[in-house]
Amino acid sequence: MNDSRYGPKTGESTWLWFTKIVTGLLVIVILIIHFIVNHFTAQNGLLTYADVVKYYQNPIVPIMEIAFLVFVVSHALIGLRGIVLDLKPTRAVIGAVNWLFSAVGVVAIVYGIWLVLTIVSRGASS
Amino acid sequence: MSTPKWVVTFQIYRKKGNADPHFDEFKLEVSPDEYVLDGIERVWAFHDRSLAFRHACHHSTCGACGMRVNGAEKLTCITLIRDVTQDGGVLRIEPMRNFPVVSDLAVDMGILYTRMEMVEHQPVNSDAKEAIQPEARPAGPVGEEEDYIRLSDCIECGLCISACPISGSSPEYLGPAVLAGAHQHGIKGNEQLLKLVDSEDGVWRCHSAFECTAVCPSFVEPGWRIMDLRKQVIGERFKRLFRGSSPKIIDTMEASK
Amino acid sequence: MTGVSKTSPLSRAAKWFDPRARTISTIGFILNRITALGLSFYLFLHLIMLGQLAQGPQAYDGFLATVHSPIFVFGEVLVIAAGFIHGLNGIRIALNSFGVGARYQKATFLVLLSIAVICSLIFAVRIFTV
Ligand code: SF4
Ligand code: FES
Repeated sequence: MNDSRYGPKTGESTWLWFTKIVTGLLVIVILIIHFIVNHFTAQNGLLTYADVVKYYQNPIVPIMEIAFLVFVVSHALIGLRGIVLDLKPTRAVIGAVNWLFSAVGVVAIVYGIWLVLTIVSRGASS
Repeated sequence: MSTPKWVVTFQIYRKKGNADPHFDEFKLEVSPDEYVLDGIERVWAFHDRSLAFRHACHHSTCGACGMRVNGAEKLTCITLIRDVTQDGGVLRIEPMRNFPVVSDLAVDMGILYTRMEMVEHQPVNSDAKEAIQPEARPAGPVGEEEDYIRLSDCIECGLCISACPISGSSPEYLGPAVLAGAHQHGIKGNEQLLKLVDSEDGVWRCHSAFECTAVCPSFVEPGWRIMDLRKQVIGERFKRLFRGSSPKIIDTMEASK
Repeated sequence: MTGVSKTSPLSRAAKWFDPRARTISTIGFILNRITALGLSFYLFLHLIMLGQLAQGPQAYDGFLATVHSPIFVFGEVLVIAAGFIHGLNGIRIALNSFGVGARYQKATFLVLLSIAVICSLIFAVRIFTV
C-alpha cells in the first residue's frame, strides 16, 4: 500500500490521541481543584500584584499551575495539529508542523515554569 | 377519489466534462407517494435523455442511487417525495459530495470500493458475529443461531462519506463506511487491519459529527462502530504494552518517521 | 464543490462550519472546533500577557487595570463559555471513544450543552455584577 491516496499513514496512532484525551480530562480535574483552592484561599479574588505573590506562597498553587500548564499546552497543540491534519497538508507541511508545535510546546512550558518560579521567589524574599 | 397530485420543481445539478456545473429545472406532476428516484427517472424519460444518474435495484439493496436531496444525503429509491418537499415545492438534486463527479448526478465511487476491499468487507456475514441490533435477528430454533448467514448491512452507497465533514476536507481519511466495514470484519488477530484503522487516517481522525449514522439508510451506525473500534484498538494497544515485546507496535511507530 | 477537490485549505475549512442539512451532532463538532481555536488563541495570549507579572508590581497592576475594562471582561466571559462547552463536550467524546454511550451521544450532547449554557450564564451574571 504505497499509494498514499489509498494507504494509511500510520502515525497519529493510539498514544498521541490517548495523550490528548487524558490531558484534556486532567485539565478539567485541575480546573475544578483550582476553583476549590481559590474559594478557600483567595475569596476576594487576586486583584493586585501583591495578592498574586502571596497566593503563590501556598505550595499547592505553583504545583497546580505548572501541571495545568503542561497539560493544557500539550492538549492544545495536539488538538491544533489534528485540525491542520484535516486540511490535507502535504507530508512536508505536517512534518514542519510537528517540529514547530513541539518547539512551541517546550518553549511555552519552560517559560511558564520560569514565570511561576519567579513569582514564588519574589514572595519568599519579601 | 384519484390519488392526489403534487407539482414539484426538480432542480437538477448538471455537469458534463470540464464545463461549469449548472442547475436545470423541471416542473413535474408527481404523486407524493412516489420516490424521488421515480421523479428523476421521469425527467430522464420524458424531458432530457442526456441526464446521467445511477440506479439499479429500486429497493435499497444495490446502493447505487445515493444523491443529495435539498442538501441532505438520501437513498433516492426509498425517499418518499412526501417526506422531503410539499405541493408546489422544490427538490434540489445534487450528486454526493467527496467523490469526483463523472457526469451530472453520477459520481466515481471507486475509492470507496477499493477501501472496502482493503478492510475485507464481506457481502455476507455470520449473524452470530454481529453484535448489532440483536433484537432484529430472526427467531430461530434454539441452538442454531450460529448458523445464520445474513447480508451485510452496509450496501456501500457512500452516503456516509458524502455527509462526513472530515471526508470533505481530507480525502485520505478512510471514512465511516470503511471503518464500519473494518469493525464488522473484526480486528482481532488481524494485524493488517489493526494497522490500517490505528492510523492518522483511521479511527483517530473522526471528530464525532455523527453525520454518517444520521444519513445511513441501512442502520450500519458507522459512528457507533468507529467509537467501538477505538475502544478495541486502545484495548489491544494496552494489552501489548503490558505484555511487552510486540515488534508490531514498533513497526507502527517506525512507519510514521 | 463536489468531488475530491483541489480547493484551497480555507475553503475546505469553511465546509466544516456549514450546518445546512446537518444534524445537531454537527453543531457539536462545529462548536468544538471553534472553541478549540478560540481557547488556543487565548491560552497563548494569556501566557504572553502574564509575562507582566515578572516585570514587577507597577507593570502588573497597570495591566490589571486594562484587563478590567468592559471589553476584556466580555472576552473573559467568552473564554469561560468556550471552556464549558469544550470541556463538557470533550467528556462526551472521551466517553464515546472508550465505548461508553456512543449510541446516546445526541442526548448526551444536548444535556451537556444545556449545562454549559447554564453555567456560562451564571458566571456571566456573577462577573458583570461583582
Ligand atoms: S455505512 Fe451506511 S451510509 Fe455508509 S456506505 Fe454503508 S450503507 Fe451507505
Ligand atoms: S436503486 Fe438500488 S439502492 Fe436505490
